[in-house]
Amino acid sequence: MLVLSRQRDESIIIGDNIVVTIVDIRGDKVRLGIEAPAEIPVHRREVYEAIQRENQRAGRLEPAEARSLGGKTAAQTRHVSGG
Amino acid sequence: MEIYSTRFGPIQIEPSDILRFPEGLVGFADCREWVLLADGLEPALAWMQSLDRPALTLAVVSPRRFVPGYRMRLNRRELAPLKLDGLKGARVLVIVSKSNGSLTLNLKAPLVINLHRRLGRQVITNGDLPLRYEVAGEAHILKMTA
Repeated sequence: MLVLSRQRDESIIIGDNIVVTIVDIRGDKVRLGIEAPAEIPVHRREVYEAIQRENQRAGRLEPAEARSLGGKTAAQTRHVSGG
Repeated sequence: MEIYSTRFGPIQIEPSDILRFPEGLVGFADCREWVLLADGLEPALAWMQSLDRPALTLAVVSPRRFVPGYRMRLNRRELAPLKLDGLKGARVLVIVSKSNGSLTLNLKAPLVINLHRRLGRQVITNGDLPLRYEVAGEAHILKMTA
């Protein structure tokens, strides 16, 4: 990992078109400003990784399991009888 | 043209059926081409099949059907690459998963598709929509044995 020290209002440029600026430092919290093209996603790492894991988990769902959705919609309450 | 799905086998599609996700999905940046398949048995259900990874098939549904009062909150930046004209012409789908015996919907990171341009993106919403919204608990077990 490349480690650089920056003070408030200073910036780092990544490639040609991604700029990270220290907007504010307060206690142990740093506010970062990120300028990047909209097609480059920028997210908190833990959010990104949680979604990645959830996508992987979803990939393991079997059709028979997914098809049981038919019994449950927002608009209806239905009693399931028999079985 | 024919594509192959590990789950569903060979499938005939038209090139115009292909949806392009230029950034793939979160954590699957290589999966840029997809087709949306209707489930033959369950009308509420569809499947996103990756053309880049035949083993990657994701169940998807329309969130409004299952989530009372569903609304997305997004940064404009999240939608910009889709070149949408407002949210008309956009189709929103959420990925279905399973957790502790319940089916869950990923409301935190829905798929937004520009139908006219055949472009899509997995967007990350603001606010606190859940990663796993439960839709079916024990009721589904009863239904499967019917």
